[in-house]
Amino acid sequence: MAAIIRSRPIRQFRQIFQDPVLAVALIAVSLFVFIAVILPILAMVSTGFSAEGLPLFQNYLQNPIYQTIITNTVVLGLTVGIIGTGLGFLFAYVQVKVKAPFKRFMHLIALVPIISPPFALASAAILTFGRNGMITKGIFGVRCFWGQGRSCNDIYGLDGLTMVLALSLFTVAYLNLKGMMLALDPAMEEAATNLGASKWRTFRTVTIPMLLPGILSSFLLLFVEAIADLGNPLVLGGNFEVLATRIYVTIIGLYDTNAAAVLSVVLLVPSLTVFIIQRYWVNRQSVVSVTGKPTGTPQQITHPLVRWPLVALVLAICLLIIILYATIFVGSFVKVLGVNNEFTIDHFDFVINGYGSEAMTDTTLLSIISTPLAGILGMIIAFLVVRKAFLGRGLLDFSTMLGIAVPGTILGIGYLLVFNNDIQLVLPFGGENAPVITLIPKLTGGRAIFGGAMAIVIVYMVRSIPAALRSGVAALSQIDPAIEEASISLGADNALTFRKITLPLIRPAFLSGLIYAFARSMTTISAIVFLTTPQTKIMTAQILNEVENGRFGNAFAYCVILILIVLVAIGILYLTVGSTTGAERTLEGGA
Amino acid sequence: MNKKILFLLAMLLVLVIAAPVFAQETLTVLCTPQEDWCVAMTQAFQEQTGIQTSYVRMSSGESLARIRATADNPEFSVWWGGPADAFIAAKDEGLLEQYESPTAAAIPADLKDPDNYWTGVYVGALGFCSNNEILAELGVDVPASWADLLNPALEANVAMAHPATSGTAFTAFWTVVTLEADKLEYPDGKPAEGETVEGTGEGYDETGTPTQQAIDNAFGYFAQLNNNILQYTKSGSAPGTMAGNGEIAVAIIFSHDCVKLQVEGFEGVLTTSFPEEGTGYEIGGMAIIKGAPELEAAQMWYDWALTPEAQAVALTVNSLQLPTNPDSPVSDLSVNLSDVNLVVYNFVAAGANRTPIAERFDLEVAPAPTE
Repeated sequence: MAAIIRSRPIRQFRQIFQDPVLAVALIAVSLFVFIAVILPILAMVSTGFSAEGLPLFQNYLQNPIYQTIITNTVVLGLTVGIIGTGLGFLFAYVQVKVKAPFKRFMHLIALVPIISPPFALASAAILTFGRNGMITKGIFGVRCFWGQGRSCNDIYGLDGLTMVLALSLFTVAYLNLKGMMLALDPAMEEAATNLGASKWRTFRTVTIPMLLPGILSSFLLLFVEAIADLGNPLVLGGNFEVLATRIYVTIIGLYDTNAAAVLSVVLLVPSLTVFIIQRYWVNRQSVVSVTGKPTGTPQQITHPLVRWPLVALVLAICLLIIILYATIFVGSFVKVLGVNNEFTIDHFDFVINGYGSEAMTDTTLLSIISTPLAGILGMIIAFLVVRKAFLGRGLLDFSTMLGIAVPGTILGIGYLLVFNNDIQLVLPFGGENAPVITLIPKLTGGRAIFGGAMAIVIVYMVRSIPAALRSGVAALSQIDPAIEEASISLGADNALTFRKITLPLIRPAFLSGLIYAFARSMTTISAIVFLTTPQTKIMTAQILNEVENGRFGNAFAYCVILILIVLVAIGILYLTVGSTTGAERTLEGGA
Repeated sequence: MNKKILFLLAMLLVLVIAAPVFAQETLTVLCTPQEDWCVAMTQAFQEQTGIQTSYVRMSSGESLARIRATADNPEFSVWWGGPADAFIAAKDEGLLEQYESPTAAAIPADLKDPDNYWTGVYVGALGFCSNNEILAELGVDVPASWADLLNPALEANVAMAHPATSGTAFTAFWTVVTLEADKLEYPDGKPAEGETVEGTGEGYDETGTPTQQAIDNAFGYFAQLNNNILQYTKSGSAPGTMAGNGEIAVAIIFSHDCVKLQVEGFEGVLTTSFPEEGTGYEIGGMAIIKGAPELEAAQMWYDWALTPEAQAVALTVNSLQLPTNPDSPVSDLSVNLSDVNLVVYNFVAAGANRTPIAERFDLEVAPAPTE
């Protein structure tokens, strides 16, 4: 017996369970992650591999139509990954390594797409670069950039979709790469230059290899986001169909959960593969962290032939982003943008006073509820994962991250499968009249508790906790555990230490986690589109409705209000939770 | 930190309070027509009865799928609007509640279910909604027949909804099925009214249902049309706005939706036309859902929605379908159905074939790679 008790995992658990607060925290977060993340995914996968599902796999994988859809999905992920990472790299490079004017402006514009309500950019792109767009038709007088008929090179299909997705997602790559470039030790490049390498050679053989892990991880991140995206392909896909839209029609039009589960499993394969590659391989390749704090300031490129084309390119992309966002703003104040440009506030009236108001308040309320919960849970998990040793620590981290690695549609369908009925435990005695305990009441659908709002709050949390977790882990890893140990030595328990020492130290990370969580919740569509109910209306789902019916004015008014709400919330969070400086540093550095 | 816990508790309390107040009488409507009409109807009903009325707008295929999926615990009490085919399909699957409304007596017999499972609330014909400017640019005349839509000049310039999600698109599909059945049945041309010609028996079976061959031929037509389709939308009326915005030349939608767009900003931009071979029409249905959680309120809605004053609400939002109650006011802008060549639309057969056709369309036509 003695030998068993002394074995490591058990000893670790004993240590944790000696502190009841710690034990409760560990059990609670594990249970939450299991029920809210793992269970729905498992249900989806097991439905896919069930007796009804398995034969469909064969049908789909052998059907040329589905082969095209699968190819399309992968191609879209690749193009968005490459172009989005390229854009992020370009912006970061100009920001850090090039002597350029308007840097602050470029930085701010690059941050704008963080708050992009789904469909906003896609709809704006149709109105500006569509076949009858204000720029395509209005300025250039063409319907297609080239070609006509089916080969008409218009905004619909892969090209337009790639442009819009890359623009709305590149911010992540930009922040990621900018942080890495700032952290790069300029001494490396200086050494190369001093040894006689040209700037180009230095760039090629020193800068790029050192940034490679960042480039790869940005690429993979964008790849996953792109193949999971539902909103943009729905609006801009044309005849370019991807798995996410197919799954959507399968549920919405046919309510065939088996077929949807099978397609989801197909979509899950590339998503999970990429996630695992990113997590266990790319992150190990980091060269930056070992070099420590940079010594000296990076040398900036001043050569006019390199400098000005790069600056011009970045400014052109900034202009594109401004045009698209201006279209959203202007479009919300005129009757039918491009057709009838009469000023009107009808769209806002419709959103604020009309039936849209319910969606506005519901969405905001649910996001306000889920955001702090997600932030706190994220920090607790981060604390447990970084500071405590226990068996399954990696598993807890991984499972939490699945919340964001799994495409939203899959999570949504998983919730429909698991939570559409009460989850009950029939006690093993009493025969026919065995007592039944309801473990989890029905969460989805209009007749569920809180009109289905609970499921939406949980999905918001599941989607937001990973960001809070990552920023928490990053912050905690930089804080010497000695500070906490000192607190414990002085007699404080784990809970007090967490509250008084750890939490204040990671407050900036907590804040950036919160901001991200809120913005994410307010703009998420794919995970909740199947979960909205008559009692709980969600703005993004309403936007989908408006966009689908071509009522861009109303959709834009929703978007403008959504952006305002997020901005106000960020302001309030800065004021209540954080010091601006620390938080901003974390946010800009790596969130 | 304690303050934060208090803050959280306070917010949870808000959630509990904000949760629906159960004491008040409520009604949840599943609404299929355009959103503004849904708003106007539920508001009018709420004002009149004091019943807290909310709605969710879903396309007709989406509605059917949702009702089917939640059959053992329905979320909605009444389903209002959308082509009757979906209501017939729902009736066949036992998803609807029988209800003999006192006001339904005023509705003509051919506009309601003989067994009182559903009653028609409006009627409208399918048509083509074309953007004049784009047609002129492509050098194509306003389409006047189903065959015109196959014109190669219209490549990627036509839009319709997906029959799996949209009743409009399904009506279009079944219209073509009917036309193909007519062609098979009467190879020398359809007999005029009153004239009796012996059919070949290849277009219709003995019950008057179009044969499988007719359905296959219709799939052939839509496979050809697929090359001219830019995008299949979820909602039936959505292609109309695409045409209005000049993204496409022709939308296959209900004619009243096209007229509505003309009234609401696209005047002079859009033209409504009808196929000369014949066009389909919809009877917008209404039904109480089986196991309706708010049965009494649902019956009140049902009775009310068939009255002239309820049907007059349509005019306030430019919904120009023809009302089914003969006493309801009709707009001058509404399309007069007697001016249009209507097919003999077999709603029962359409309803029975809805799901298999939607599934087959999904597999064969919509995602098919185009040349």
